[in-house]
Amino acid sequence: MSYERPYNNRRRNRDDYERREAYETPEQKIRTAIIRLGEVDVIQEIPRVAKQIREQAVGSVPAISEGFRIGVTEQPYKIPYYANLLRLLHDHADGEQESSTSGSPSLGKQILEDFWKGFQAFLDKLSWRETRLCIHFFAHLTMAKVISVQSMLNLLQSFVAVLDEFGVSHGRAKRAGLCAAEGLMIAGKTLKEASVTDVIDIINAIQIYVESAASSKRLVQPVAQFHAELDSLENADELLESALAVLKALNSTDFAESVNSYPQPYVDLPDLPDGAAVFELPSVLVPPEIIELDGLSADTGEEAQVKKEEWPEYYIRLFDNEVTPDPVSAAGYAVRSALLDIVEIFEVNRKECARLLLEYPKWTLPGTFKPRPGAPVDLQPEPVPGKNWQLESTLMEIVLGALFVLPESTYKAIYYIGLITEICKLSPSTVGPAVGKSIRKLYASLADGLDVEVSRRFAEWFAIHMSNFGFQWVWKEWVPDLSLAQQHPKRGFARRAVEFEIRLAYHERIAKTLPEAFQAEGAHVLPEHAPGPDFEYDEPSNPHHNAAQSVLNLFKGRAKAEDVLAHLESLKTTIGETADGDVNVDAVIRSVAVQSLLNIGSRSFSHFLNAIERYLPVLRSLATGGLEAKTDILTAVSLFWNRNRQMIAIVFDKLMQYQIVDPTDVVGWTFTNGVGNERGDSEGPSAINAHDWDLLKGALDKANGRVLVARKKVTALRKEEDDTRARAKASGGDVTSMEVDTETKLDEPPESAALTTAVKAFTSLTSQQKTALARALDGFIACLAPLSSDRRANPHAHEVLTEKAWHNRANWSDEEWNAWETWGWYRHFCRAYSPYLRNYSTTLGTVSLKKFEGSTDPAALQIMKLWSVATGEEA
Amino acid sequence: MAHVVQSLDQPSNYKDSQARVDRQKQNEMLAKSSTLYVGNLSFYTTEEQIYELFTKCGSPEDGGGVKRIIMGLDRNTRTPCGFCFVEYYTHAEALATMRYISGTKLDERIIRCDLDLGYKDGRQFGRGRSGGQVRDEHRQDYDPGRGGWGAQAQRAEIERRREVEERYADANGMAAGGGGDWKEINAPPAEQTLKRGRSPEDEGGDTRQGQRARMDDLDPDADRM
Repeated sequence: MSYERPYNNRRRNRDDYERREAYETPEQKIRTAIIRLGEVDVIQEIPRVAKQIREQAVGSVPAISEGFRIGVTEQPYKIPYYANLLRLLHDHADGEQESSTSGSPSLGKQILEDFWKGFQAFLDKLSWRETRLCIHFFAHLTMAKVISVQSMLNLLQSFVAVLDEFGVSHGRAKRAGLCAAEGLMIAGKTLKEASVTDVIDIINAIQIYVESAASSKRLVQPVAQFHAELDSLENADELLESALAVLKALNSTDFAESVNSYPQPYVDLPDLPDGAAVFELPSVLVPPEIIELDGLSADTGEEAQVKKEEWPEYYIRLFDNEVTPDPVSAAGYAVRSALLDIVEIFEVNRKECARLLLEYPKWTLPGTFKPRPGAPVDLQPEPVPGKNWQLESTLMEIVLGALFVLPESTYKAIYYIGLITEICKLSPSTVGPAVGKSIRKLYASLADGLDVEVSRRFAEWFAIHMSNFGFQWVWKEWVPDLSLAQQHPKRGFARRAVEFEIRLAYHERIAKTLPEAFQAEGAHVLPEHAPGPDFEYDEPSNPHHNAAQSVLNLFKGRAKAEDVLAHLESLKTTIGETADGDVNVDAVIRSVAVQSLLNIGSRSFSHFLNAIERYLPVLRSLATGGLEAKTDILTAVSLFWNRNRQMIAIVFDKLMQYQIVDPTDVVGWTFTNGVGNERGDSEGPSAINAHDWDLLKGALDKANGRVLVARKKVTALRKEEDDTRARAKASGGDVTSMEVDTETKLDEPPESAALTTAVKAFTSLTSQQKTALARALDGFIACLAPLSSDRRANPHAHEVLTEKAWHNRANWSDEEWNAWETWGWYRHFCRAYSPYLRNYSTTLGTVSLKKFEGSTDPAALQIMKLWSVATGEEA
Repeated sequence: MAHVVQSLDQPSNYKDSQARVDRQKQNEMLAKSSTLYVGNLSFYTTEEQIYELFTKCGSPEDGGGVKRIIMGLDRNTRTPCGFCFVEYYTHAEALATMRYISGTKLDERIIRCDLDLGYKDGRQFGRGRSGGQVRDEHRQDYDPGRGGWGAQAQRAEIERRREVEERYADANGMAAGGGGDWKEINAPPAEQTLKRGRSPEDEGGDTRQGQRARMDDLDPDADRM
């Protein structure tokens, strides 16, 4: 292989690297030693590193404290040991017994003082995770008697104060609440000894906040039950609520359980030496959120900024408390939050993240996890009752939990999917079974209301995971479910999973992996043919076969766009004259032209791009003719690619990109025409399925993305002009500065043409954004609360909301499931686009929802309810 | 955040061996690049398969997405030869691909992604002596996904091969742009002519540099380790 050839530049690189290693300064060395603490045996290493730090301490305090800061915020599983290390640095060095009287503070104190500056910087930037992890460190140091109890209480109170702020956003309150809660979990024992009331006040404040945010929970619970407002779910837990439950339980035993939840390696160390005072944490104020005022607002005058992560955070449970940590037990919460932090922090390197996750047990108290199979018996710790969890199942539950957070995961889904792949690669024999069990649990929950968006991500994960592991899945066990209604979520999942697998591989490859029953035509899982194009004018029997052939030949011969247009014009006349009966000539021409163009571009994505780029003028001309023209174009695409839904999404995306159609056209088309492949026809009751959702999402994201880009452009241009103006002023303001000052105001150069254009673009794009969102809202309303006279009204839209109907779901037909799924996508629309909907809530609400005022129709009430939670009218 | 571990989105020592810009300039370009070189593809992998995987790193809500895919072709036979370029609209998407997709499987092969200086016409052709990639000239192993070492393709893939061989027969070395930024359509006529003249932007850039590109860009693989 050519990989090993010693290229010049490679050698040069290596030299560079070695030189860097060689020149590592003492400061860098000490920093590295701190960061790498515990790579072999942490307890043994602590005294050694402490000695090393002492030896090089002179002038190196900033480097040392930086080492601590990186260690604490990037390797939180080491925090108890860092606390231990720092505690040791408060002791006098050997032979230095007398120096304490000299008045110079201990090395430990100097480091802590410098560390505090770093904490303050994290807090000023509102880097919440780093802030929270520093609080963990302070809490351990409080337990180690290094930090004063009262100052620790004051610190936690500053974060609790955030919960009381007027109009505090949920994201901010949640994060501040977790800072206080987790600090209390670690240091509660000592804190409560100092002040019972202070501790109880903290817990009560969190409780009050959690209760006030109750109604927003219903929008993001991973299990949807439209008939009930469930306060708690059987198989999912909200993060802040879990923290609260843990605090209450801990408090009831005066935090006795903390010691079984967090390692406290420092616990047996003596008090600080005589003359050393405990460290008083300075008081802090959590700074307010920065709202960037760029003076740009949507046409409603409302601020058009997008704020995310404003929802309660639900994590799904897949296993029992005996198998994986219970999130509402102190020990369970500690393990889960530590693992979640690792998943977040190491997003930059999924391979290292996987390794650290599998190594995590070494940082926990003995007996937390079951020993690895094959570990020598005498080295195995006694299993601890209530713990002794299974590491691999725990990791799966944590990573999948993070993947399924609604409305969206912190990172892209593909990160969590790739992370699971890496975990599997490191330990296939132990992780494989945990993956299988997770899939089975999730599949089972499909029948019990698993949220539609969670189901979609589940299918996505399943397909990508299988594509990394030879598509080996035991489909046989799901064969009995083929007798369920075709629109049952389990069957929908199987269909989608196979479709996604085929997209990543190819038809025959996936067919090979499926048992007979799934391949059968009636199963509607595996399409009969590979997903190819379907040029309806190919058939000589088609009345427009000849017309299509003539257009196709022009395209093939790379005729000029104007010649094609001229030919289409003449075809119009011919068809108009020869067709019998009522033929919409314009519609026929559009369909013939678009399908022919797609046909010459059908060989690949690039061929398609080349084809439409060459004939953009033709497409533009076909698209003039209002909504009808655009609808015809989109319909032609969906007919041509009816066997390949991936291509429908791709073509729609590029038609929007080339501005042949607008996002609103695609949104409207999806509701009126839908792809309907799963439903079989577009005549039945209107409904939105997962594929329709993909198209809606593609269009809405496009509309939102354009606004974002336009906003950035305006901001950049404004800044540029402000700078230019400032420079001009600075250089011009010399002699008669007083007079000039007033004059320059008048003479101020007008906005540049570029800025004027950019502002105009921003204005028209926000208005398009609003139209697209409004069209989607109207579409959902038409599906879910239609007038009974509506031709495509789904009679079950109201019914599926009732508790009685839900308990009877085993007998539901396709139409009930379609209605239920549409409700699910409406709920997802509300929460996923809530930051955008909020900006337009007044206008959209007035236009679309006014008709429901005073209505007692359960469907209308449900629509209003979900809407008002999403737009923040109801907290 | 990468004091403890190395981030996966750092540029590797992959480079276009024939690019005629200095190291510093190259690094600046890579720090903004939205294009990836993707290697170790099966000869049978289609653009749609690539699209399906790479779209997972797309951020349409930030104005992103897959802009275009350029399949690497054998210079002589015009058949895929195991690499491609994927171009996004934003740099962040290219970085996400480095972190989440590089090193995972596509079509049952572990693919490798590298930030690229940006596609120029001509670069889609293999630079090996036989027309394919340089690495396949020297390969000693049997690799059914990359043409085996003879014509012994696996039976199941014969049909795929036939399609693949025909697919790019018409490739002329000019790639489509993929669609540019949103523009006001009803702009005043004067401005419109101006825009037309420049649009699509990429093509304008490419034609100007076309002459140099042909000399500059040869095998992107020639310098990898």
